[in-house]
Amino acid sequence: MRIFRYLKWSPAVFALAAILPMAAQEGYPLKGSWIGEWSANATHGNDIILVMNWDGKAVSGIINPGTDNIKIDKATLDPAGWKVHIEADAKDKAGAAIRYVIDGAIGQLEMANRTITGTWSSQKGKGKFEIRRQ
Amino acid sequence: MKNNLVSRNLAVGALGLAAFLWAASAWAHHSISGKFNTTAAKTTLVGVVTSVDWRNPHVHVFMNVKTAGQAKAGAQILNWAVELESPSILEMEGHNRNTLHVGAAITVRGSRARDNSRQLWGEDVRFTVDQSLVFPPKVKLPRNPTNSRATPTWPDGQPALGQAPGAADGFWTDPSETALVEDGVTVAMDEYGVLANPADAAKVAPMQPWALGVYQYRQSRQLRDDPTYVNCKPPGGPRMYQSRLGVQLVEDRERKRIFVLMGSGNHNYRIIYLDGRKQVGLQGGDDDNPLYFGRSAGKWEGKTLVVDTIDFNEDFWFTQGGLPHTGQLHMIERFTRTDYDTLRYEVQIDDAGAYTRNWSASWTLKWNGGGALPSHFCQNNRQ
Repeated sequence: MRIFRYLKWSPAVFALAAILPMAAQEGYPLKGSWIGEWSANATHGNDIILVMNWDGKAVSGIINPGTDNIKIDKATLDPAGWKVHIEADAKDKAGAAIRYVIDGAIGQLEMANRTITGTWSSQKGKGKFEIRRQ
Repeated sequence: MKNNLVSRNLAVGALGLAAFLWAASAWAHHSISGKFNTTAAKTTLVGVVTSVDWRNPHVHVFMNVKTAGQAKAGAQILNWAVELESPSILEMEGHNRNTLHVGAAITVRGSRARDNSRQLWGEDVRFTVDQSLVFPPKVKLPRNPTNSRATPTWPDGQPALGQAPGAADGFWTDPSETALVEDGVTVAMDEYGVLANPADAAKVAPMQPWALGVYQYRQSRQLRDDPTYVNCKPPGGPRMYQSRLGVQLVEDRERKRIFVLMGSGNHNYRIIYLDGRKQVGLQGGDDDNPLYFGRSAGKWEGKTLVVDTIDFNEDFWFTQGGLPHTGQLHMIERFTRTDYDTLRYEVQIDDAGAYTRNWSASWTLKWNGGGALPSHFCQNNRQ
């Protein structure tokens, strides 16, 4: 019944996608809204939206797994290989704290709909991670 | 026999044209440096014109060229596409779609396409028979008189930044710099902003690490991703004053605003308000009013117009060479008409999102009196 899981949260995706700017974004490479999956994530589901911003010193933003937003605690971008590192504190369904660590790299930097691919991990598991900028 | 050769030539030409059109659809508009290797050794072609495609954004001349070593392998004729400047620029030089005719024997010298396809950036086009020049090796816009003339003024003594009262109209062109580099820094680059030595990247401006990485990435791709060419995005920011196609400043003194019309970028324009209004509104504009040129408020300080601009969007490159900017970009420009034929342009870049400190650049433009601002369109408008 995977299709129902998609249907359940797809309105949220469309609503967010509608209000977020679909701009080319030639500035800070992480800035913008990203949609994709952190596969094999039983705690929060596979589908996620990331929204990231840049104030000139630090990246801020949220990870939305279709339920509550998870505030990004730390995010860095290393131009050498365009490596991305994200850390965020969330809670599982029982309310226990879990910490996500995401490591990836930007692909197709020149494109507005560039990607970030890599891995995620937490106390509850780990898996692959792929998002595309909208 | 002769008919066979003609048929074959036509077939080769048609195939070449078809192949080119296919390739062109993939390239769309492009930066010259991105498509052609302008710094490599030049290539010379000798052949016969098969077609002239006179349209924006660039004119193309197709020619059949006999390959070397044909005696052993049999005659082989290949069709090449020679790309030239825009129709606007060539027409400013007195050329038109009839300058070259099908069947003319020409010799072309230029830069080959980076993908090694049969495309050449034509830098010198001559009739083979007498080597007389067809298209110039490098387009030069009309120069101004060398004798200095006083800065024109309005009746109240304020300098006229554009057309002088009672005088012929004109526009500003021939920028002394065509890519943005911090004042006091000397780095070698071509007119499109491609560095001669990539190791010089960090010298160009005081970039944050990410911005330097983006700049180096764009440089490594020879600026081929420039949205001004790829997506026809307006060349906002100081870039609009570094186009060889120039800008025209039209002063509406009654309504206290200055229109800056561009000779490139699809005739985009910018408005500088001098009526004291606040620079308020949505950051970066919105879909109905995307702020490629920001919100500009100007005031006169003596003989200099000082313009404060904020609220740029991030959808374009604000320099030719690919320096990045963010929505935090705050620009302070100073326009001084130092004499009748010279406009000094100074800009301070304040963008804490991309740079480690404020920095400045400056250059001059020359007055092209009596000339009409040339039009240039990113997409074809001359079917």
